Amino acid sequence: MSRIGITTTVPVEIILAAGHTPVDLNNIFISDPAATRLVEEAEEAGYPRNVCGWIKGLYAVVVKREGIDKVIAVTQGDCSNTHALMETFQLAGVESIPFAYPYERDYEALKQQMERLLAALGTYWEQVAAVKRRLDGVRAKVAEIDRLTWQENKVSGWHNHLYQVSCSDFNGDVDAFEADVDSFLVRAQAATPAAGGVRLGFIGVPPIFTDIYTYVETQGARIVFNEVQRQFAMPGAVPDIIEQYRAYTYPYGVFGRIADIQPQIAERRLDGIIHYVQSFCFRQIEDMVFRQKLDVPILTIEGDKPGKLDARTRLRIDSFIEMLR
Amino acid sequence: MQCGIDLGSRNVKLVLMEDNAIVATRIYETADFYRTYGRRDAKGLKVDFAGLGLGNTGRVVATGYGRNTVDLVGATVISELKAHTNGACWQTGLTDFTLLDLGGQDSKVIKVRGGKMVGFETNDKCAASTGRYLENMAAVLGITIEELGEYSENPVELSATCAIFGESELIGRIVEGFSVAELGAGVNYTIFKRVKPMLAALISEIVVFTGGVALGGAIRGMIEREMGVQVIVPKYPQLNGAIGCAVAAG
Repeated sequence: MSRIGITTTVPVEIILAAGHTPVDLNNIFISDPAATRLVEEAEEAGYPRNVCGWIKGLYAVVVKREGIDKVIAVTQGDCSNTHALMETFQLAGVESIPFAYPYERDYEALKQQMERLLAALGTYWEQVAAVKRRLDGVRAKVAEIDRLTWQENKVSGWHNHLYQVSCSDFNGDVDAFEADVDSFLVRAQAATPAAGGVRLGFIGVPPIFTDIYTYVETQGARIVFNEVQRQFAMPGAVPDIIEQYRAYTYPYGVFGRIADIQPQIAERRLDGIIHYVQSFCFRQIEDMVFRQKLDVPILTIEGDKPGKLDARTRLRIDSFIEMLR
Repeated sequence: MQCGIDLGSRNVKLVLMEDNAIVATRIYETADFYRTYGRRDAKGLKVDFAGLGLGNTGRVVATGYGRNTVDLVGATVISELKAHTNGACWQTGLTDFTLLDLGGQDSKVIKVRGGKMVGFETNDKCAASTGRYLENMAAVLGITIEELGEYSENPVELSATCAIFGESELIGRIVEGFSVAELGAGVNYTIFKRVKPMLAALISEIVVFTGGVALGGAIRGMIEREMGVQVIVPKYPQLNGAIGCAVAAG
């Protein structure tokens, strides 16, 4: 059994079916108390300053720490910096397996990618299908956490983020994760609903800021929709695993994401959206599309290195919430 | 009496109002102000109002860079964007316009409709295209910021608006033999280019231009000419945020 690092959400069923432990490197990086130090270590190794903080964090988690045997690197559909990340892994003697989401969302092309992963890890479709049924049950429980967030106002934006973002690797232990979800659900159902306030959506990659969810709550607003994290949790189960990873919006371009976001704005009664972008990321360009296509006030905020919100970003969040009130 | 304080990055601005009229204004160097009148106690920053020599200041409303970093004892703190919106409405009597505020270290564009902020943009997290950039460039050219603020003809091409990297680029142009007027116009034009996309996203027929940078005529003229809008610089461009605070104290 190996610990397999992943650079973003991949068909995790395949890793589990092969008897390995999936480890979302992003989660390891951002939950490390010394996350800033990890970025510095990558820069000391030669990573440029003007490159995404996540990529540097992922590099350092694998190369400068122990415990990752190999990495599945998503070379299409996430971030093209991953190409060079793989090459620097190779330089450091860490094996990586490329995985590409086909841009056209083509069924056969995606199936072929998944079959290559099956072969690389040594498992079969039947085993994968069994794992998928198991995970669908856990995902349905996480979807209930999401529903309790926006419909009953009983779950904070932070917990909504945390449980959904954890569905990329189920924290490496599906049974323990499910038990945690179960006990959280019991507490959440009994919680007192949060009162009123401005309702916000969060779109874009998960934030490198560690305090944004709690901060907006101190300003009288709640995040009741986490776009990409919800996608990590694969809402709306479909029986065919290839269809499931075709329905997953994040890797396939901005218009598919907009089609997913639009109905959520109405259903969750969002007053505004925070579009989070990472410094130096191509997704900053897509802000143009969101601003034209989404009919709701949008605040774009940018994060570079891990840590708390800076004064300028706090000012912009305050003003945005004040404007929506 | 109503008192408004804008704790800016370069200057602290203070305005006293009574019966909807300005009765006193003060502009202090930020570092001087904190050193002379400020004192930190367990509750936050305490200002020696008696030491300011203004008598009874009445209710105090303050704003400043990142309102959560400002913790002025005895004052109500409002957000900078709200203070500036208030100030521009009060100073111009207008309710529908786009406010452009170019201050010491930041730039803001606020779209105002019916006297309320309906959209805003702020600069990247650096001092590019702000007063600090202009100060540095004026120093490189060996002229005052006031003189720099008037040059607008035949701008030389400059690419950097970074307050630091801009220096070496400007020196390169000096060495090429351009006149001070052309260099100064180039500096002003880079500011215009930097704020143009922010303005374009939130444009109105009238642009109210505030902040220290509005004191010079060159950038104002560039906005009018190139964007085909009317630009109004109110009577107290630098005090706009403080006025907005004083209005809020009423």
